[in-house]
Amino acid sequence: MFSDAYDKLLWLLLALAVAAIVLLLVVGGGPGGGKQAGLGKAVEREMAYRARVELIGKLYGPVETLRRSGNNSAALLKLDELIRKYPGEAHGYILQGEILREMGTADEALASFVQGVKLNGDYLDANSPLSRRDEIQRLVDEDAKSIGARAAANPDNRTAAAALQRVNYLKSRLAGGCE
Amino acid sequence: MIRSSLTRLTLILLALLALAGCKAAGKRPVVKIGYMICNSEEETLSRFAPLTRYLSDRCGVDFVMVPIDTHDFEKRFKQGDLAFTHTNSLLYVILRENHGLQLVASEKRGQFGSRSAGAIIARKGSGIEKLADIRGKRMAFGPMLAPTGYLAEYDLMLAAGINPEHDLAYYSIPPGSYKHEKLIYGVLYGKYDVAAAPMLDLEVMAREGKISPDDFVILAQSKPAPYCTFGAARNADPELVKKVREALLALKPGDTAEVDGERLKVLKAAAIDGYEELLDSDYDLIRQMAKRVNMPPYQKY
Repeated sequence: MFSDAYDKLLWLLLALAVAAIVLLLVVGGGPGGGKQAGLGKAVEREMAYRARVELIGKLYGPVETLRRSGNNSAALLKLDELIRKYPGEAHGYILQGEILREMGTADEALASFVQGVKLNGDYLDANSPLSRRDEIQRLVDEDAKSIGARAAANPDNRTAAAALQRVNYLKSRLAGGCE
Repeated sequence: MIRSSLTRLTLILLALLALAGCKAAGKRPVVKIGYMICNSEEETLSRFAPLTRYLSDRCGVDFVMVPIDTHDFEKRFKQGDLAFTHTNSLLYVILRENHGLQLVASEKRGQFGSRSAGAIIARKGSGIEKLADIRGKRMAFGPMLAPTGYLAEYDLMLAAGINPEHDLAYYSIPPGSYKHEKLIYGVLYGKYDVAAAPMLDLEVMAREGKISPDDFVILAQSKPAPYCTFGAARNADPELVKKVREALLALKPGDTAEVDGERLKVLKAAAIDGYEELLDSDYDLIRQMAKRVNMPPYQKY
């Protein structure tokens, strides 16, 4: 349960978030009416969100460090461990997409971005501290032509068709479409 | 008399027809698939037996596995009785250029999907921090026809101005089976200073808990290129080629096949994630590396 520093940090942040929620519920439960309760929920959401952003920064920090030093392969190996440990966390897939794109594998990069965006739409929200909207927009703009041309030249090729489908999915999400 | 003879003759003919019918129903065409031996013959046969059985069930023929050593593959393919091949991407390119092999499907495994990259690794803390530091060091390569265990790393070194033939203390290739694992362990335990490791093997060994990525420094990495590939001989039955491609692309994690009375998951047994339909032009990266490194099918003496 407390096998490494990340786990300890995760549990500490979780405990803080729970304590904050309890505090807000106690305060919000007193006289003051619905407006105060609504305000409490907003604060609660904000706190949970900030805790998540903080945690992501700590968890994926080593991957970012390796990436910044140009060691993409080592970053991917580290990331693979984290994705297995936290399969429901979108951030790993987004980082994986960015690294794979840098390494020249557009199809796999697209698949990772799609998975990340499906898990958490915050990455497309321009106002989110986690936003990768500009990067995803660039990816879609740059790859749409080459992948589209590839799919058109090989109409029976299912891999090209799947890549085009992924580009179109990201386009639709960027345009504000829902799943 | 005549009547009785006619009755007897009819009965004999009916019996013969029934026998012929039985024989036809039980017999299916036998088609050979040549499998490049990956780590060992035993491992290759055990990995791909469920897949071969699955293909037989789906395509209505009896596929037979023929395990072949990497270096013997082209010679064996030239004999002409292999309708399908399962090889690494360099062998695919060699057989394509020299014998017109058709691309059927490409295997997906690990983070790069149907691609893998080659890396030059050293042990963390060994003092080898960058590619230039490997001059005068002891190096291990994977098998000579391995795209991401030899070709890619050799190419990376040439691009960095390091000639593996002259600039190392020595280089060798580990003997026997599981060469990729051996050279990774060799670096970890100090037998070699540096090694040419496929990223896929590093990833798989880390997943299996055999190594930690933190134990190594990656000094250089190649661009990811296609890896294991199913091919079909130029003269293979087009309908069967189509059926095999469809069957491979349709494979899902839950699909099973019966081998020796046991029902096994096809993809899990083969340690693969699925199949993709790449284009032959996706293999150009392998072609470019083979030309630069002076390897088959472009080797010039």
